[in-house]
Amino acid sequence: MTVLAEVNVTAVVVFAIVLAVTLAVTYWASKKMTGAATFYAAGRQITGSQNGLAISGDYLSAASFLGIAGLIYLFGFDGFLYSIGFLVAFLTVMFLLAERMRNAGKYTIADVLSFRLRERPARVAAATGTLSVAAFYLIAQMVGAGVLIQALVGIDFTLSVIITGTFMLCYVVFGGMIATTWVQIIKAVLLMTGIVVMSIFVFAKTSFNPIELFNQAEKNVGKESTFSLAPGTFLKSDIDTISLGLALVLGTAGLPHILMRFFTVPNAKAARSSVVWAMFIIGFFYLLTTVIGFGARAILGPEGEEAAGTGGNLAAPNLALELGGGEGTFGGDLFLAVIAGVAFATILAVVAGLVLSSSAAVAHDIWSSVVRKGRDSEREEVWVAKIAAITIGVIAMVIAIVGGSGLNVSFMVGLAFAIAASANFPALLLALTWPRFNTTGAVCGVAAGVGSALLLIIISPIVWTGPPGEPGTGAFSWYSLNNPGIISIPLGFLGCIVGTLMSTERATERTFHELFVRSETGLGAEKALTGH
Amino acid sequence: MAERLTPRTDEADRSTAAGREEPQIDWSAIEQEAEFQELVRARRSFVIPGTIFFLSWYMGFIVLTALAPDFMGERVYEGLTVGYVLALTQFLMVLVLGIMYLRKSAKEFDPLAEKAIARYVEEHPDDVPGRPGSRFDTPSGDTTTEPEAVR
Repeated sequence: MTVLAEVNVTAVVVFAIVLAVTLAVTYWASKKMTGAATFYAAGRQITGSQNGLAISGDYLSAASFLGIAGLIYLFGFDGFLYSIGFLVAFLTVMFLLAERMRNAGKYTIADVLSFRLRERPARVAAATGTLSVAAFYLIAQMVGAGVLIQALVGIDFTLSVIITGTFMLCYVVFGGMIATTWVQIIKAVLLMTGIVVMSIFVFAKTSFNPIELFNQAEKNVGKESTFSLAPGTFLKSDIDTISLGLALVLGTAGLPHILMRFFTVPNAKAARSSVVWAMFIIGFFYLLTTVIGFGARAILGPEGEEAAGTGGNLAAPNLALELGGGEGTFGGDLFLAVIAGVAFATILAVVAGLVLSSSAAVAHDIWSSVVRKGRDSEREEVWVAKIAAITIGVIAMVIAIVGGSGLNVSFMVGLAFAIAASANFPALLLALTWPRFNTTGAVCGVAAGVGSALLLIIISPIVWTGPPGEPGTGAFSWYSLNNPGIISIPLGFLGCIVGTLMSTERATERTFHELFVRSETGLGAEKALTGH
Repeated sequence: MAERLTPRTDEADRSTAAGREEPQIDWSAIEQEAEFQELVRARRSFVIPGTIFFLSWYMGFIVLTALAPDFMGERVYEGLTVGYVLALTQFLMVLVLGIMYLRKSAKEFDPLAEKAIARYVEEHPDDVPGRPGSRFDTPSGDTTTEPEAVR
């Protein structure tokens, strides 16, 4: 039941199809690129339901698909906790941010902050938050891509990272947000189709009775297995579980590549319908992660644990192989290849969104507003954005290759979510809702959020011990949290509040009225381009 | 597309930025309208309790998972545990709150926002649609449905 180490020809063909289709989309999109609004925001012409699919494609990473299914296979209930957190997080986005972002922003998170705050410090702060989140998330995805493609298809790690990075840069540089959006939509359709088909196959083996699936999963536990229908097998520390839960539910509302998607629709109403579409699609997906995880447990049993690899990432592909007829059969190979292709498309869509959002932070916030003080042309800004995308992409590829498959992916994803929840989310929320909030508050909040999340992760057991999942010691005996959220999120808010109260800047209260009216009514919001 | 990316460096810059394209809008006047106040009140009276509810229900689930693993592992029916039932209620919550929010917005918030803008347009005929550079190209501003936008 091990996945072959030599190159899997069927999978290579499926990969080639995915790449050909996405390149065709990029070519089509490149004809529509006219300037900054198309590059960053697809001309704001994406409809609500399209954007809902694109958000799903942007959000559901390989960690969601293979990672969570694997965790559920290995640990049972605790793996499913991630699904819940990642999903409920969308209510935070829906209630607090989606429409307001659309109404008040243009291309980046910084646009919303700099509306009321002194522009340059506000943009530097927001760009710092954006780039920190995107960098860690991007490197994690690149390493994940390399590991998965190597395991599933047999293509060497370094080559896998280079292929992923190159195609990601093609989409972004030539097709901007239009290509990125459609790659994400295609990926979402592929991923949903893949998981639904797999679930039907699993249910067919358990007489279409969910309870029967639970029973069979539970029966298939070996002596060494950690699988349990009760919590506590993977997340062993109670405070850590709460901390993780908090970081998951607030972190999504600070992910720059997700928030950026709300600028691609024509108005707040479409932003709202897109967040609800996304929430339902993502909810259905996460519901099915149980079926895949439990299905793998029921069908592969304890014998499949070793082949599932670290964190159980290969449980879902191995399950596909088994469902298709087993190793060496045509059906098994085909099903495995298709699922590998879906995972590949999944990674491509997420990294494209990440690299686009970081290039926007560099070009729109840092270059155009801080370095050139608004004296650059739109053309220049888009050029800078493309150069920034290539630079960021290449740096991420180099770090992924140099760090190799040994880089701890869960550490970097955890860090990305913790920074998003502790730095970006507090500053954004307070800028939109608190009249007194000012520049010093934003700068202090982002500094406190990024700084504390970074520091706490560095001294945590994830960094100071060997393999992930094992109870570690951490750098200090008194600190053993793997996820810093429960400390760093309050510190982020505290930084915003203390910074605000210490400063005498009062002009922001006047501009608050404008931002408030704009964000509530949509008056004066950026318009969609017409034509095409 | 001739949009210039003019940033706003400070108050002085802001007025020049506004001068290029946006009509001068008296934001405080809108803020003080009864219609706008009602919009804010209506939205808050849904969003704030909604947020408190979902965060409590979710964090309650997380805290129970962390502190009461035995309770969460208790059987409801065969392999179905209390934890899984509570987990499924989170999915239900997302579905219900999502639908409720869409409905509330379409029935209550959108018409109120349109009214607030319409009132402002009525009282400030200078900013009325049709004026070159004006952003009001529909009488009720941007919150109105742009047909293909929703679906």
